[in-house]
Amino acid sequence: MAVINPLTEATEAIIEAGGEALKSCYQCGLCTGACPWNLVRSFLTRRLIHGAQLGLVELESEDVWLCATCGACVEWCPRGVEIVDIMRALRRIGAQWAATPKSLKTVMASLGAVGNPMGEVREKRANWAKGAKVKAFAPGTEYLYFSCCVPAYDPQAKRIALATASILNKAGVDFGILGSEENCCGESARKVGEEALFQSLAQANIEAFKKHGVSKIIVSSPHCYHTFKNEYPALGGNFTVLHTTQFLAGLIENKRLKPKKPLPKKVAYHDPCYLGRHNKIYDEPRRVLAAIPGLELVELPDCREDSLCCGGGGGRIWMETKKGERFSDLRLEQALGVGAEVLAIACPYCLLNFQDSLLTMGKESVLEVKDISELVNEAI
Amino acid sequence: MERRIGVYICHCGANIAATVKVKEVAEFAASLRGVVVARDYMFMCSDPGQELIKNDIKELMLNRVVVASCSPLLHERTFRRVCRDAGLNPYLFEMANIREQCSWVHEDGATEKAKELVRAAVMRVYYHQPLESMEVPINPNTLVVGGGIAGIQAALDIANAGYKVYLVEREPSIGGHMIQLDKTFPTLDCSACILTPKMSDVGSHPNIELLTYSEVEKVAGYIGNFKVKIKKKARYVDEEKCTGCGLCFQECPVIMKSEFELGLAERKAIHIPFPQAVPNKAVIDKREERPCKAACRDACPIYTNVQGYLALIAAGEFRQAYELIRKTNPLPAICGRVCYHPCEEVCNRGQIDDALAITALKRFAADQIDVDKLEIPQITKVGKRVAIIGSGPAGLAAANDLALLGYNVTIFEALPEPGGMLHVGIPEYRLPKDILRKEIGYIEKLGVEIKTSTKVGEQVILEDLRKSYDAVFIATGAHESLKLGIPGEDTPGVIHGVNFLRDVNMGQRVKVGKWVAVIGGGNTAIDASRVAMRLGASSVTILYRRSRQEMPATPAEVEAAEAEGVQIIFLAAPIRISTENGKVSQIECIRMELGKPDASGRRRPIPIEGSEFTIAVDTVIPALGQVSDLEFVKGLGLEVSAEGTIAIDESTLFTNIDGVFAGGDVVTGPQTVIAAIAAGKKAARSIDNYLKGECFVAEGEKYVPQKLSKREIATIKERFPSQSRVKMTELGPKERTKGFTEVEQGYTTEQARREARRCLASQIEGCFNCHECERRCDPNAIDFEQKDRLLEIEVGSIILATGYDAFDPSVISQYGYKKYDNVITGLEFERLSNAAGPTAGQILLKNGQPPQSVAIIHCVGSRDKNYHEYCSRVCCMYALKFAHLIREKAKAEVYQMYIDMRCFGEGYEEFYERVSTQDGVKFIRGKVSRVTDQALSDEGKGKLIVIVEDTLLGSVIRVPVDMVILSIALQARADADKVAKLFAIGRRADGFFMERHVKLEPIATFTDGVFIAGCCESPKDIPDTVAQAKGAAAEVLSLLARRKVEIEPIIASVDEEVCSGCGLCAKVCPFGALTLDGKERLMLVNRALCKGCGACAGICPSSAISLSHFTPRQILEQVEALTY
Repeated sequence: MAVINPLTEATEAIIEAGGEALKSCYQCGLCTGACPWNLVRSFLTRRLIHGAQLGLVELESEDVWLCATCGACVEWCPRGVEIVDIMRALRRIGAQWAATPKSLKTVMASLGAVGNPMGEVREKRANWAKGAKVKAFAPGTEYLYFSCCVPAYDPQAKRIALATASILNKAGVDFGILGSEENCCGESARKVGEEALFQSLAQANIEAFKKHGVSKIIVSSPHCYHTFKNEYPALGGNFTVLHTTQFLAGLIENKRLKPKKPLPKKVAYHDPCYLGRHNKIYDEPRRVLAAIPGLELVELPDCREDSLCCGGGGGRIWMETKKGERFSDLRLEQALGVGAEVLAIACPYCLLNFQDSLLTMGKESVLEVKDISELVNEAI
Repeated sequence: MERRIGVYICHCGANIAATVKVKEVAEFAASLRGVVVARDYMFMCSDPGQELIKNDIKELMLNRVVVASCSPLLHERTFRRVCRDAGLNPYLFEMANIREQCSWVHEDGATEKAKELVRAAVMRVYYHQPLESMEVPINPNTLVVGGGIAGIQAALDIANAGYKVYLVEREPSIGGHMIQLDKTFPTLDCSACILTPKMSDVGSHPNIELLTYSEVEKVAGYIGNFKVKIKKKARYVDEEKCTGCGLCFQECPVIMKSEFELGLAERKAIHIPFPQAVPNKAVIDKREERPCKAACRDACPIYTNVQGYLALIAAGEFRQAYELIRKTNPLPAICGRVCYHPCEEVCNRGQIDDALAITALKRFAADQIDVDKLEIPQITKVGKRVAIIGSGPAGLAAANDLALLGYNVTIFEALPEPGGMLHVGIPEYRLPKDILRKEIGYIEKLGVEIKTSTKVGEQVILEDLRKSYDAVFIATGAHESLKLGIPGEDTPGVIHGVNFLRDVNMGQRVKVGKWVAVIGGGNTAIDASRVAMRLGASSVTILYRRSRQEMPATPAEVEAAEAEGVQIIFLAAPIRISTENGKVSQIECIRMELGKPDASGRRRPIPIEGSEFTIAVDTVIPALGQVSDLEFVKGLGLEVSAEGTIAIDESTLFTNIDGVFAGGDVVTGPQTVIAAIAAGKKAARSIDNYLKGECFVAEGEKYVPQKLSKREIATIKERFPSQSRVKMTELGPKERTKGFTEVEQGYTTEQARREARRCLASQIEGCFNCHECERRCDPNAIDFEQKDRLLEIEVGSIILATGYDAFDPSVISQYGYKKYDNVITGLEFERLSNAAGPTAGQILLKNGQPPQSVAIIHCVGSRDKNYHEYCSRVCCMYALKFAHLIREKAKAEVYQMYIDMRCFGEGYEEFYERVSTQDGVKFIRGKVSRVTDQALSDEGKGKLIVIVEDTLLGSVIRVPVDMVILSIALQARADADKVAKLFAIGRRADGFFMERHVKLEPIATFTDGVFIAGCCESPKDIPDTVAQAKGAAAEVLSLLARRKVEIEPIIASVDEEVCSGCGLCAKVCPFGALTLDGKERLMLVNRALCKGCGACAGICPSSAISLSHFTPRQILEQVEALTY
C-alpha cells in the first residue's frame, strides 16, 4: 500500500470553498449514524469529513455526491459542525475539477440556459396558471406567488400551484406571478457546487423582483424559501418570504380562511428537511392540517427534528437513485405503518419522490400523497 | 507638594513586548508631567523588578508610582506592597493594564494605546492621596452551605480544629448526591459505607450546628463579619421529640415519588428520605393548603379519615385504604352499603359539581379484601370481662374496640343470628347476609364470644350479668313496632314493618297478598315496600301523611322503590282497615294538608274533612316507627326516660347503675347504623376508662363541617376542571324485583380510581392535613402549627458546597429517555444497583427481568455544543464502574459507546484495563446517533437498538440491547444564578461558580471570605471534591489563625458642609453602610460596612459624598487623558 501524506493544500482549498466547519469535527461519528443513507447502504459522513480535514478526499468518488443535505447530522452534531457546508465545499472543488456526475451536468446546463432544471421553455413558465384566475404581478400587487420550477412545469406537481392559487383567490389575497421572468431559486445549483450558476440565477431573480416592486413572496417550495430567506439577503435581496403553510396558518388564525368541508381521513405529515430542520417550521403545517374538520393527524415514527428525508435535497432530485436505496420508499412504509390514508407533504421535491415510490411500490390504492395546499383547497 | 512620579513598563516576557514597543512607551512616559523616571523591564513582578521600584522610590524620592503591566486583579497587591516596603503609602500607586486590555487584543496600534493608558494612569496618580487601611476582627464561626460530601468534609475539618460551624442543607437530610451512589470508582467502596460515618459525625459534633431543610435567605456584611439570615423550613415534626421510629409513614395515606430514589420508588408525604438520614427525623412534605375543608370527615359520627382512604384508592392502594377505614370502623363493608352518608351531604365537592361517592368507594375498598383472610392482630389480654347485650352495630362496635384493648367480651343476642337490625332490619338486596357474617366473623376472631338465642330477661337475667362481668353495655336497639291505633289493625293481613322485614330476613316464608299498602315514610316503609314487590305483590302503595319533602327516607331509596313500581300517595293517612271474611279487604284513608311546623320542625299534617277515600288491599304493612322493649332492665332498677328509652349520662353513657352502660337505638330511639357504631365506640372508650379507674375524658371538640366560601369555590373551579360523579352499575328495576340480589353492583377498579381521584383534597401534591400521623405518633412529635423560622447568624467566613444537578436527557429525543422504559440515567442505575434501592440491588428491567445486554452511552449532555461543551470528568469512570457491576451481578453483555476514554486519576487507568480484560466489556468508539425500538432484524425485535458508527471499524452498527444507560452530564444547579447573587460571587459561562484564579486560587472567590468547594465549582470526582473541601477548610482556618483582616480604605466619605441629610444615598447603598444622623441632618458612613462601590457618590444630588481613591478629580483627569 502506498504511503499517503496529508495534503494541506487540499484542506485549505476546501476551507476556502466554504468548508471551514471541518475544523470543529472531533470524529465522534454521530453524523454517520444519523445519516439516512445508512438505512440503505454504507455512507460514512464522518470519514468524508476526516478525509477533508487531512486533504485526502477522492472527488470523483460517489460519496461526495450522495449527501441529500437533509441536515439530520447537523441537527445533533455535538460540535455544531455545519456538515452541509463541508459537502457543498467538496462539490465546489469537485465541480472545478469537472468531477460532477453526468446527469447533474445536463441539469445545470438547463438551469444556465433556460432558468429551470427541466430544460423547459422559459416562455411557458406561466402556462400552469391558464384559466386559474392568476394575474401577472404588477407594481402594487401585495404578494408574489413563486411556485418553484417543479409545479410550474411538471404535469403532476402543477396541482400544488393550482390549489394554492385557488385558496389565495378564495381568501381574497392580492397576488400575482412573474411567469417567464422567474428563474429557479438556485438552491440545487449551489448545493452541487455550481456557485457561479447559483449567483447568476439569484441575481436574475433579485433584479426581477426589485424591478416589479416585489416585497412579499409566498413560496410552495421549502428550497425556494430557504434560499430567498437565508441566502438572497447576502446578495442584496431582502424580501419577506412566507412558505404556503405559514401563510395558510396565518389566514386560518385570522379567520380569513375557514376549512368547512369535513375530510374524514387519517393523514400523516412528512416534515420536509428544508422547512423543518433547516428552517425550524414544524408547527404551522400541523396547525393548518388540524384546522380541517374530520381530519385525523397522525405522526410518523420519525417526525419533526428526526424527520426522514425523501432523498431529494442537495441536487439528488435530479440524480437517479437505485431502487432499494430510495429513502422515499422507507418513508412510505412508515406512513403505511401508522395506517395513514394520506401522506401530506409541503415540498414539490417530496411530491415527485413520493409519487414515484407510490407507483413503484404499487401502493396507489391505499395511500395518497398530497400537498397541504391541496387538502386545504378540498376543505374550503 | 512636588509630584515625583516613577513609571515602569513591563514586557511580561513577550506577552506585552511582542506587540507593544515598550521602550517607546517608556520614553513617552518620561515626558509626562511630574514623571521623574520611566523604565521598562522584562518582568516587573519578579524580585529584581520589585527591587528596581523600591530603589527608585528611595533614591529618586519618588512619591507616586505607575506600573503598566497586566491586570490589577493579578498584581495590584504586589506593587502596593512594594510601595509600602519602600516607605511609600500603597495608595499612591496606579496600575495601567497594557496586557489584557492592549497587547493581547490588538496587533496594530498597541503601542499608541499603551501610551494613552500610561498617560491616563499618570494623570490619575498625580491626584492620588495617601489612605490608611483598617483592621477588623474575624468572627470565629463559619457557615458551610450544602451538606454533600464537600460540605460535610469542610465542616468536619473546621469543627475538629475547635471552631463552630453552621452547616446549612436544603434537603431534610445531609448526604448530597454521594449518598445516592452505589459503589465508588475505582476502588468499588460502597458509597454509603464510607459516607455515613462522616454524616453521623456531623450529626453529633458538638461544634457543628446542623440546619437541615433550611436555606440561606440573605447575606450581609464582609469578610470576617457576615450576617446571614437562614430560613428553616417547617418540618411539621418536632425534631427534639421525633425518634425516627417510622410509624407515622406507615399510616400516611399520601403516596408520593421518592426524590431520593429518583422516582423509582414511592414514599409517603411524611417520610424520612432514606434509612441512614442525618438527622433521622421525619418531615412532612406539605406544599400548599388543602383546597377543600374535608367537611366529610367532620360530618362523620366516627370521624373517618375519608380523604385518606380516597387518596389511597386513587393511588390503587386498596388494602391500605381498607386498613385505614377499619382503624376507626369495624364494619367497612356494611357501612359501604347502608350508611346514610352524612359525609356526602356536606362533601365540599358537592358545592362545585357532584359530591364524592364516598359510601360506594368505601364499599369498593372493602370488597377488594377477603375479610376471612385478614390477619388477626396480637392482643394483650387485660383479664377483665365485659358483657354486651345486643349484637347490632352498637354492640358489635363496642365489642370490636374492647376486644382490641384486651378485654374478654361476651355478646348476648336474643335472636338466633347476630347482627341486630343489620340482620333483621335491612333487606338482603341492600346488604347481603354473607357480607354481614364475614364482618361479624372477624370480630369473633378477635376473641368476642356471641351467645345467640340468649335473651336477657329470659335465658339470663341482667342482675346476674352485672355481678359476673366487670361492666355491662346495653345495646338492644328498638325492635318493637309502633301501633297505628286505627280500627282493624289486628286483622290477619296486617303485619308490622319491622316484623315483616324480620321474618323475611330470617328466611321465613312470608306471603304477601296481591295488593299491598305500606304506611309510613321512613326507610323501614321503603324497605318493606320493596321487599313486598320482591315477594310477588302486584301493586304496592305507600301512604304517607306528609309530602315528599318531609319524607325521612333516603331520597335515593325512594327513587329506587319508585323505579321498581312502588306507588306513593302523599298527604294521605289511613283511618280504618276494613275486612271481609276475616281478611283485610280495603283501607279507608283521608287526605291531609300541611299546617304549622310541629316539634320535629316538619309541618304538621291536618286531615281535610270530607276527603275520605278507600283503596282495595289485601295486605297492610304499617311502618310508623319502633320502640324498645325494656322489660329486662326493670329488675336492676335502671332509669327509663319518658320516651321509653334508657336514661344515660351523654358524655359517658353511664346509666344510673354503676358499671352498666347503654347506647344506640335503646338510648336514642331509631337512628342510623353509623350513629349506633359511634355510640358503641364511645361506650368502649368509656368502659375502658371506667375499668382502668381513670376518669372519662370528655369528648374533644365537636367537629362542625365547613362550607367553601364563594371565593374559594371560584378559585377551585378555575384550578380543577369539573367532573361529575362516576355512576355505579345497578341492576335494572325488572331484574331487581325478581329476587334479593344486591341492587348496587359496586365500582370496577377503574371506576373507583376515577371517582376517588375527584376528591378535592388529593388534587394537591403533598400532605393534605388528614393528621393520621398525629394520631399514631407516640411521642407527640407531629406539629402542624409549626411555621418557617428565620434565624440570623454571624459568621466570619462562608464555604459554598452546593453541588450539581444531574443533566436531564429527555431533551435529547434521539436517545428515547422517558420514551423507552429501559433507557435510564446513570444516577437511576446507581439506585437500581444499590442494595438499599428499589430493587434491593438487582439490576432489573422495568418488567422485572434481568437484562441480557446493556449499552452505556457516554457524553450525554457533555462535550456537546447543544448542551454543555465541557467534559463532566466523572462519566467515563462511572460508566466503567457500571460495566463492572453489570458483568458481576447480571452477567449481561456490556457495550461502552464512547468518544474518548478519560481515565486520569489514581488507579483509573488500571480500572479501565481491568474492566476490558477481566470483565470482557466491549468498547465501541463512536457517539451514539440514536436509540430506537424499530428493529430491522428478528433478533432485534423487542429490544432497544443502539445505532452508532464504530468509527474505528468505519461502519454503522445497530446493537440490540435490553437496557441503555445514559452517562449524563453534571451541570450547574438550576438556582446557581440566584445563589451566586446572594453571596455576591461570579459564575463562569458554563454556569458553575467562578474561582478567583483558575489555577492558583481554585477555592477563593472574588468576594473575600467566601470560598467554594466541590461540584459547585466544576464537575469533579469524590477524591477531588474532598481535596477541595479540605482546601476550603484550610482557607478558613488560615483566616482564623490571623484573627484580623485588613479592610481596604477605599470608602465613601461625606462632606459635612454640603450634606443635607436627604437620605437618597442610604436607599441605594447595598450594604447598609449609610445612616442618617437626625440631629445634625447629615449622613454617616460605617467604615466597616462600606465596600466602596460608589453607588452613593453617583446618586448624591449635591455631590456631598465622594469615594476615596475615586474622587471626581482623579477620575476626570484620567478620562481627560484618554479623550484628549
